[in-house]
Amino acid sequence: MSFKTKLAGAMTGVAVLTSAVAVQAEVLFWSTQARPAEEAQAMRVEVLGGFGPGVDYQPNEAGPWLTRFKAEIEAGSGSIGVLGSLHGDFSSLDADTLMDLDGLGVMSSSETFNNLAKLGTDSMQYVPWMQASYIMAANKEALQYLPEGANIDALSYDELIQWTANVHEAVGQPKFGFPAGPKGLKHRFFQGYLYPSYTNGVVRTFASPEAVTAWEKFKELWAHTNPASTNYNFLQEQLLSGDAWIVFDHTSRLAQAFNERPDDFVAFPAPAGPTGRGFMPVLAGVAIPETAPDKDAAMALVKYLLKPETQLATLRATSFFPVVDVDLPDDLPPAVRAAGDAVAKMSASPDANPGLLPAGLGSKGGDFNRVFVDTFERIVLAGQPIDRVLADQKRALAKIMDDTGAPCWAPDAPSDGACPVE
Amino acid sequence: MSDAASVSGHSTNKAGRFVYVSGVVLLCAWVLIPLYLLLVNTLSSPEAVNSFPKSFLPGFDLGSLEFFAGFSGMLVALKNSIIVAAITMVLSILIGAPAGYALSRFEFRGKEVFRLLILLTRAFPLPLLALPLAVLFIRTGLDDTAFGLALVHTTLAVPFAVLITFSLFSGIPLELEEAAWTLGCTRLTAFTKVVLPLILPGITASAIFAFVISWNEVFAAAVLTIENRTLTAFLLQTLSESPLHLKFAGGFILVVPALVFIFAVRKYLFAMWGIANR
Repeated sequence: MSFKTKLAGAMTGVAVLTSAVAVQAEVLFWSTQARPAEEAQAMRVEVLGGFGPGVDYQPNEAGPWLTRFKAEIEAGSGSIGVLGSLHGDFSSLDADTLMDLDGLGVMSSSETFNNLAKLGTDSMQYVPWMQASYIMAANKEALQYLPEGANIDALSYDELIQWTANVHEAVGQPKFGFPAGPKGLKHRFFQGYLYPSYTNGVVRTFASPEAVTAWEKFKELWAHTNPASTNYNFLQEQLLSGDAWIVFDHTSRLAQAFNERPDDFVAFPAPAGPTGRGFMPVLAGVAIPETAPDKDAAMALVKYLLKPETQLATLRATSFFPVVDVDLPDDLPPAVRAAGDAVAKMSASPDANPGLLPAGLGSKGGDFNRVFVDTFERIVLAGQPIDRVLADQKRALAKIMDDTGAPCWAPDAPSDGACPVE
Repeated sequence: MSDAASVSGHSTNKAGRFVYVSGVVLLCAWVLIPLYLLLVNTLSSPEAVNSFPKSFLPGFDLGSLEFFAGFSGMLVALKNSIIVAAITMVLSILIGAPAGYALSRFEFRGKEVFRLLILLTRAFPLPLLALPLAVLFIRTGLDDTAFGLALVHTTLAVPFAVLITFSLFSGIPLELEEAAWTLGCTRLTAFTKVVLPLILPGITASAIFAFVISWNEVFAAAVLTIENRTLTAFLLQTLSESPLHLKFAGGFILVVPALVFIFAVRKYLFAMWGIANR
């Protein structure tokens, strides 16, 4: 036996040993949500532990998540049983690659969410799974600097700017924290909060005179924002470290601060502008790919996830709220209580101006966000003239709307065809 | 006059020595301080990690590490990482060393193009290659196997293996081999008895490169493995959004096996600069 054949033998041996295919009895839950280590662990143990056939919960970043799913669809066979992700990720997928879930008999209690889940088709392509929103939070140290007469539960943008200015002056450091880091959700602030509050629209009013005012106000706020904000992705870290005292972020990206030191922080509604208190939901859903190895088990898992008790366990594990009607118990974690209160106050406020998630953008969802991020970077970070930047970016936005033909969503007034940028 | 010369000679000598020592200290600090801070923060309580100024002494709080001890799937992932890295090492040397030998010893058509082409495997980002690779792997049954992933990692590691061994082979005079041939060696025995011992440190260096490349690779591992996840794919994706104290602990867990490996092979590496094995 020559060296070569020995070598070939050894290689084959290695290949056979390592390629022994694992037996798959568990449903593979391929998710982009609940990624942080503690949340993933809580999902595995407390939420999915009760599902009989067993679940292999694998949280992924959006890149690998999408690549793997596309590969399985293209290869025509796969191992993913259930997909879990945000509405925006699903809307970029081809609806033919997802099972129609109308026959499942479960859906959320919100008609709006159920309609979003159809992704523009006639049937549910995913089932709404859990929801969240964006809120404000502050270190209690900062409360003494609130402008006179301001009510923290009904702040206006002007009062917020005054408040951050007072803190800046008193402490000597800018203490507003904004998620402008590479993974921060800054674009949602512009799409769901700043624009609706100042222009009562997002797309139609993108380059309106009111939008210019909105950006001017944001620049004022930025003057009192910790300049390190361009590195902030999860404001809970800066709340805990004290680098930021007043912050805006996703409820679950603030959760750790409230859970670790519940007595040190307060959560409160987003501020209001001339056209109301703009705010926007976050919607996550679960879907079943056409290539799922065991569709019955996958459907059972989706049904299990929508059960009230599973939804409550999910709330505890991830700080994402149920999408079905559930009576919330009293013993919830501090973060959930704080965020729940703030969201409730926000929706119940007399000037509430709730927006919807962008819909109908398909694979252009990322480009849509890019428009807002670029506008922010050019106006606020690069200091370019607001008029010029808005006029430039308006063209990019109009092209996205024309290419996709997406109709307007709230708070923009409805449109017949593609939502026009006026 | 001669006194002045000797004094100035002495002082340049001293200054040179000072630069040399501070260079060594700086380089050591560059490697060791981050590792030390990683260790300190791993062994500190979450409050200590988030507070400022940071302590330079560990608090010996094992909470963060305990969390990972109970994290399901860690040990399996560690095992997978080691298997994949080991196969990558073996394959990249089996493929890379002969290629390096051929490049340094033989003249053939397209040699320069071949050297460039080898580097080209690093020119395409993995996220671009991962989709077609995953489709192919699913169709051929290589999907979700350590061997399949090791093949991808080998592609990434081979350029380093080829270039390192190429320069080493070029540094060994052909006369040594010729002398061995005249003394009764065949091409193969001359290689194994004369050349191989001389280039062992280089082989070790490329093995370390292969190991580290495989150990650090996330994207392909995340797409191509599911049941057989590597530790990096398993941990890194959850870590980037975890609280700070878990980031440190997870980073520590990722670094330690690689350090252990490098320490295990270090004596072969040091021989490269003529320092005897110790």
